[in-house]
Amino acid sequence: MFKHLVKVGLMSAVVLATFTSCEEEQQFTNEKLDAKRVEVQVLNSELAKVRDYVPLYAVIAHRGSTFWAPEETEASWRWAREMGADYLESDVQCTKDGIVLANHDENLKRTTNIENVFSENVPASRVDFYMSLGFSRADAEAQYGRDMAAFRPFYTLSYYYAELLMLDAGSWFNESSLEQARPTFKATENGRFENGHIVYSNGLYISAIQDQIAYAQGKRLIRDANGRRILTYKVKDEYKGMTLEQIYNAIKAKGQYNAKYMDFIEYDFANAYEADPEDTGNRPGIYVEFKESWLNPGNMEQRVYDVLAEQGWNIITNDPGDQPFYKNGKVNVGNTRGRVILQTFSFDALRRANDVFKGRIPMCYLLWISEPAYATDIAYDTPTGYAAFIKWAQDNGAHIIGPAISGAPNNYPEMNAPWQAYMIRRAGMINHPYSFDSWAQMCKYMGYYNYGWETEFDDLLRLEIPATPYCTSSYPNSVPVYMDGFFTNRTEMSLRYMIENGFRGNPALPNPFHAGQKYDNSQANVTVPDAVATLERLGY
Amino acid sequence: MKKYILMPLLAVFALTAAAQDFDTDPTLELENAEKEVKFTVGARMMADAAFYHSDFTPLQSGASITDARIRTSMTYKDWYFYADFGFGGGKFSQKNIFLQYSHLDNNDNTHAVKVGYYNDPAGSMARNTSLGSYHFISRPGSSYALGEGRELGISYKYNSDRFMAYQGVFTENHYNKIDAGFNGITVAGRYLFRPISDDFQTLHVGVSARFAHLGGGEVYNNVLKKSLHLGQSLETLVDEDEQFVSADLDWANNVVNVGAEALYQNNKFFARGEFFYKHVTKKRDSYSLYIDAQNNIDGWGDIEWWENANKLKNNNFIGGYVEAGVQLLGNGYKYNKQEGLLGGLDGKSLELVARYNYTGLNNLTDGEYYNAGRGHFYANGYMEDWPGTGATSVGGGDIHSVTVGLNYAFNRYVLCMVDYTWHKLDKPFLPNDKNFHVAQARVQFTF
Repeated sequence: MFKHLVKVGLMSAVVLATFTSCEEEQQFTNEKLDAKRVEVQVLNSELAKVRDYVPLYAVIAHRGSTFWAPEETEASWRWAREMGADYLESDVQCTKDGIVLANHDENLKRTTNIENVFSENVPASRVDFYMSLGFSRADAEAQYGRDMAAFRPFYTLSYYYAELLMLDAGSWFNESSLEQARPTFKATENGRFENGHIVYSNGLYISAIQDQIAYAQGKRLIRDANGRRILTYKVKDEYKGMTLEQIYNAIKAKGQYNAKYMDFIEYDFANAYEADPEDTGNRPGIYVEFKESWLNPGNMEQRVYDVLAEQGWNIITNDPGDQPFYKNGKVNVGNTRGRVILQTFSFDALRRANDVFKGRIPMCYLLWISEPAYATDIAYDTPTGYAAFIKWAQDNGAHIIGPAISGAPNNYPEMNAPWQAYMIRRAGMINHPYSFDSWAQMCKYMGYYNYGWETEFDDLLRLEIPATPYCTSSYPNSVPVYMDGFFTNRTEMSLRYMIENGFRGNPALPNPFHAGQKYDNSQANVTVPDAVATLERLGY
Repeated sequence: MKKYILMPLLAVFALTAAAQDFDTDPTLELENAEKEVKFTVGARMMADAAFYHSDFTPLQSGASITDARIRTSMTYKDWYFYADFGFGGGKFSQKNIFLQYSHLDNNDNTHAVKVGYYNDPAGSMARNTSLGSYHFISRPGSSYALGEGRELGISYKYNSDRFMAYQGVFTENHYNKIDAGFNGITVAGRYLFRPISDDFQTLHVGVSARFAHLGGGEVYNNVLKKSLHLGQSLETLVDEDEQFVSADLDWANNVVNVGAEALYQNNKFFARGEFFYKHVTKKRDSYSLYIDAQNNIDGWGDIEWWENANKLKNNNFIGGYVEAGVQLLGNGYKYNKQEGLLGGLDGKSLELVARYNYTGLNNLTDGEYYNAGRGHFYANGYMEDWPGTGATSVGGGDIHSVTVGLNYAFNRYVLCMVDYTWHKLDKPFLPNDKNFHVAQARVQFTF
């Protein structure tokens, strides 16, 4: 008995010793280690070529500015241009007449006074609007009935662009941002239908993408003596002489993407802008987000392609050639192949944009996570899941990943932890996180808090930033950098951070995508105008 | 790789050095001859140690009391009552509890009626075999993923030298602890033919069939939602993580199992195997869900559109295993004719065993795209926004497993086992997990 007990004990000890003598194994799922060993698809050479159209450490003015001025309006984009942002960012949706305009939310309630101007029904002036275009009352009333069937209150797709120019897109800002409020942001007159035609409001407008491009080109709106923009419209030549019913049927026959839309009106954007007397020469690019695909026609991406081509901003149809990102202390991105970047959260929009643009224009795939996962969210924020989304993005023509970042005031979910930034770098993709509101966030994601300290991801993320005369320190800045540019609501603060820490105005930055090569942005603006003074200079 | 070889070799060394009987009390038996009653009490304990090595997702190596059980029985004339209770893993659990009436007819054929909670006859040969009598540390994975376990019901079994017919009616849940619906109903049967059956060897071949109508579920958007979980561990009880091979089938309605089995046994050798086929039908109150989904600013169009974006597909899964063993030392393998099962080691024994198992829980639809970041399949070959995906694939995982093992019984009560298993996995959600190595050992004590 005793001998057997001893032998059982011996066997147990042998087994135990064998287990404990095994080489060190991973004891738990460690996303930091997994981020290094999980397979990540690397950007192919064609996409990498387009990736390099984008300037490093770009300051992307998120909606122009959400902090200083009403977002996505003339005021915010002119301000961002004058401050020296590299890109003017926007969110695009489509009106009933097919105009691509900038609006972030699903509807227009937050950023306009639409609830004061229109009811929850088709605008009462719609019949008169049709008649002002030369259609009969009976025809107009019949079309009104069809409009009602497809109507969704306060959504852009339910309104003609001319109707939306009756709204004030600035007064809401004064009510929600008391410290940044300015009387000039508010229209003194709302729009109305009067004497057989639409009278626009005289404040800030919901912007068409043509407006955004114009602001990037150093222009501003032409306004009349009452402060109303001048933008004429007419029935497109191809529909002249037709009734509304005939137009409706003709548009419907073009296919499912057009069924809800009545894009038979032509706006004279060519004569809507003038040189901005306050323009100081910055030429930023634009960074356009395709919003929820189900809010827009299925050919939204083609519409954007066409507008860009019409405006001469589509590099596929109008290649500007090799141009510097900065010239003589001014932003010149708007004159380069990187002048337009596309972005989206939407699976559908990304895939369709790839069908249209074929990866030949820089494109950013945005990442978000929630619980439960929304239709386009990443649901499994693990290295494996992140790698799957990176692959999906590349397979659909994306060159950039745009992860959400944490921190006040937005407190977004963290999608740009060091291991995630590391995976984006492994993929050879640009990392444009969103959106920055504070100096602390910039310090965090540009490695300031890791200055001099070793990190797990130094092999790919740590950069040696040579000091410039504009830096606050005369020593090289050795930091892990968790981004390659970012969306900011504080352009002035972001530019200052970039300049003071050597990321801007530097002739010898290391290029993380081309080992051993230097990246020169020494021609960039190295002084940042005062934010308030700039607004005042622009007339706000 | 060194460690996978080292451990079994060291264990063999230890086992061969310990080849003597223990002095152990036999199972406790109490008999009252006057009242013709016999009462028995027994117990079983299994302690396992396991070491895992995987390509990517770690498992938790370690040791565990994987089973601890008290067994009781009472016999009175032709009546037999049995109950056992587990407390392995620190939790009390209901195991078997049944009453059986047996009758031997004039031709020496047995007729038995059994009532209670016990293994489904068609649940698989492996699941009907007590783990204490098994020749591997774990039953084959496919018997867990595609077989069935205990159910509450009544059965009738006919047994002769050549034939066994064992069938019954059961419910799916013995405590009726369900949120909504009813307990479900199952009809199952196992049928064996023994072309060879003598004192030296047995060959049996058999088929089994089972039909289950699921009755219980949860209330989801005012609709009864019934689901079926299928899964297995990596043929180990120390870390019973089922994430590698498992599928949850929403809207499951009926389940059809069909199985085939064969078993050969002689004094020094056994071989057995099973094939499993499982068909799961789906049913859903689509109209109510469609109407519920309309309570949103984004409508769905008509119900046909909704159903197209939320397709239901019946699923088919297959699996199976073959096992073989050679007894190098001992009293030979025994066949239990009453149960149609291979017995465990009886007395001091040494055997070498091997097994191949396949479990297929991937039921993929051609052309569908899977993204591990979404954890979804997409019907049209790419990811799409709302609404729905329309995909019907199930990606529960396909796994091939090869096991070799060595078992040594000191006597009829004490058994030591050592197994090594290599698993090859293909699961869409875990694309980095391909190979798993499992080395495990067990000390088992039964009386």
